[in-house]
Amino acid sequence: MQDITRRNVVIGAGAAASALTFPGVARSAPAFPAKNIQFVIPYAPGGGFDVYVRIVAPVMEKYLPNKVTIVPVNVPSGGGSRGVAQLYRAKPDGYTIGILNIPGMFILQQQQGSGAYDLAKFSWIGAMGEGERYVINVGAKSPLKTFADLKALSAKRPIKLSVTGPEGTAYAASVIGTQLLGLRTQLITGYKGSADYVVAAVRGDSDAVIAAIPTSMRFVRGGTVRVLASFEAKSSFPGVPDATTLGQPDLDNISVERVVAGPPGIPPEVQNTLSVALAKALADPVVVKWAKENDVVMRSKTPQETTQLVAQQRAFFDKWKKYLTPS
Amino acid sequence: MFAAGEEHRQKGICLMLEMWLGGLQGLLHLDVLGFVFLGMVIGLVFGAIPGLGGTTAIALLMPLTYGLEPFTALALAGGVMGAVPMGGSITSILLNTPGTAPNAATCLDGHPLAQQGKAGLAIGAAGSANAIGAIIGTVSVLAVLPIASDLVLMFGPPEFFLMGLFALAIVATATRGKMLRGLVVGALGLMIAFVGFNDVAGGERFTYGIEYLWDGIHLVPALIGLFAVAEMIHLMVKGGSVAQSGSPVKITKMTAGLLEVFKHMPTVIRGSLIGTIVGAIPGLGGTVVAFLSYSVTAQASKNPESFGKGNIQGVIAPEAAICAHDCSALIPTLTFGIPAGAEMAVFMGLLIIHGMQPGPLMLRDHQVEIYGLIWALTASCVLASFVGLLFVKPLAKITQLDSGILVPLVLSTAFAGSFAIDMAIENVIVTAVFGCLGYLMMRYDYPRLMIVVALVLGANTERNFHQSMLMGEGGWSIFLNRPISVGLMIAIAAVLCLPIFRGVFNQLRVRKLAAERSGP
Repeated sequence: MQDITRRNVVIGAGAAASALTFPGVARSAPAFPAKNIQFVIPYAPGGGFDVYVRIVAPVMEKYLPNKVTIVPVNVPSGGGSRGVAQLYRAKPDGYTIGILNIPGMFILQQQQGSGAYDLAKFSWIGAMGEGERYVINVGAKSPLKTFADLKALSAKRPIKLSVTGPEGTAYAASVIGTQLLGLRTQLITGYKGSADYVVAAVRGDSDAVIAAIPTSMRFVRGGTVRVLASFEAKSSFPGVPDATTLGQPDLDNISVERVVAGPPGIPPEVQNTLSVALAKALADPVVVKWAKENDVVMRSKTPQETTQLVAQQRAFFDKWKKYLTPS
Repeated sequence: MFAAGEEHRQKGICLMLEMWLGGLQGLLHLDVLGFVFLGMVIGLVFGAIPGLGGTTAIALLMPLTYGLEPFTALALAGGVMGAVPMGGSITSILLNTPGTAPNAATCLDGHPLAQQGKAGLAIGAAGSANAIGAIIGTVSVLAVLPIASDLVLMFGPPEFFLMGLFALAIVATATRGKMLRGLVVGALGLMIAFVGFNDVAGGERFTYGIEYLWDGIHLVPALIGLFAVAEMIHLMVKGGSVAQSGSPVKITKMTAGLLEVFKHMPTVIRGSLIGTIVGAIPGLGGTVVAFLSYSVTAQASKNPESFGKGNIQGVIAPEAAICAHDCSALIPTLTFGIPAGAEMAVFMGLLIIHGMQPGPLMLRDHQVEIYGLIWALTASCVLASFVGLLFVKPLAKITQLDSGILVPLVLSTAFAGSFAIDMAIENVIVTAVFGCLGYLMMRYDYPRLMIVVALVLGANTERNFHQSMLMGEGGWSIFLNRPISVGLMIAIAAVLCLPIFRGVFNQLRVRKLAAERSGP
């Protein structure tokens, strides 16, 4: 009996010793992420960017090496600048990432003159899809039937365009677009939110409205607006002229990009993990289905492509700065 | 939508009734009802805690609804939204702290009632006003829904501007005897409202480079300061407890409160109609609706001086309006995606996540879900009134707490709630500043009613004015070319002249009585 007991003890000790090496096995699992990741949204809950993050974040969790939660955090103050500044100042360990509106952030920074962050220095992780392009809409009851009608009207009097406030991208798109197309305009500014200024055109407050395609599609499907022209290089609306036809390829550069970034200086492996997870999430069937139903293209971009995109957007909007800042 | 012919309309009505019943049917499943109940509880709690409210509740619930069916998610949201006003009215009455911004109107007469030891009565009345308001609101919404989109389109910036002026006019004339003070305070409110980034011309006003002020002075922290903090300062200075009379709160008062509403049916109906009509038009919002209902009732009453001192109608009118408004605020949100307030904006986000895009198609493709939502909202509002009443007796004991305990408790809750809204410490500063301002206003008898309405309306009204000018190319004729604008201008003139007429009328009556007395 005693022998067996001693043997058992030895076997037990051996088993215990080998068990102690298990943490060693576990230690070779990826170190990142070891805790929850914060996803900063510099806007109020319910808005467009907020919705994108809330759809993609839970799917992105599946593609991270370890099981953690990605927690969306809304920081709406200052038109978005507080959230961006918070992201800029966060520790570059990959546990804080955020979504940025490019060129919205450039425009906002121009308007606010803020030095709290340098948009060139963020660690770019990727982008949530293809940038949204703009189209020119009129209300369904409008007498304007084609782009040529619009041009003819512009020759007689300035066209009334409903737009958001000067800190918005729709405002920038409207100013730049009409400049490029040589249309005389009278802007009715200050509509809030993403639907109000389009409804204004439906209502007759304005002659036309320049809005992003996903927003416009809602109204097109409801039969309340008509698209007269598209700023895309190749129009996705049949029978409607596009940037190429109108001879203004620059129009295609006006887009709203949903860029995902982290604070400056994230280690490359961490950045890579995040960007691969994001890319896979955007290709996931759940996200693809939602995107299709909402007229959003969710093709992902690599960090390099994103860096290039941001630089390109900055150059483009710097060129137009004088038209956008208040005189 | 624009191609509705007569046959189309008839078919539409039959279909609508079918969908309406479908919405109710969808609700009558145990699990869905469970979610409505859960939403109701959450709504009550979040409504009661100052600074939280429906906006925060729905924002927090969004990720939790991922696995739910769209119908169930809407039932949950409806449950939350229906119960928030009741939760808010409880803290408004007991602690003079508006649980949500619209409940600030309930503070005006609700809290004096609590101070008189009649907290149970006030909360009971608020509860039934909520319930009836919700029912009337829902019925009106259902009646209006088919033409809702046309209705929303009839109101543009000129109408919004005039509606803002109309609200300001009504509220100004309601501050009887203190009209000059009301105007001073209103002007101050407007000045404060203009702080921030100017949406029309660009450029910042009065922000001094402070990034927090880009969006202007945030409303809810300001209201928490004006009402809760000011009241606590007042209590500290005065000493004692909120309920001044020594009498304990009796249970009977609660039932009396419930029944009180039926003694004032005209008030309830008027409040509900104001809430429904004004709520359907994006632009004024719940806070203004509540104050508008309060002011109109005060004006129409036979003894307007009793308002502000504990007139039960001053609780019934705004509470009915708030619940009716919550139902009809769905109209512009669902039909066009124009959120009638922050809560609706978050709610829209919830809709989009569940694959329902607010817009003209929503009414066409998701009718059953919309009706389910409206049913859930109404049911929750009615239920919350009763559930809230269950807790009245223990809650009313708060009014008997000594100020030494109550003040620190309320102040810490108020400041914490204020901070929690945007996670911004500046909110706390705003609350503190407005707390001092509110106390001074109480001390020197300046009406807080005016400053609230001016704060809420100022920026939007100005913006709509500028937009109207841009639309009309600088001329004033834009206001005269539109029938609704003309109607509103006549209404404003009528409201402003009403005190004059009343004065003349009273004079004539006095003279007539004197003549009769000195007669034969």
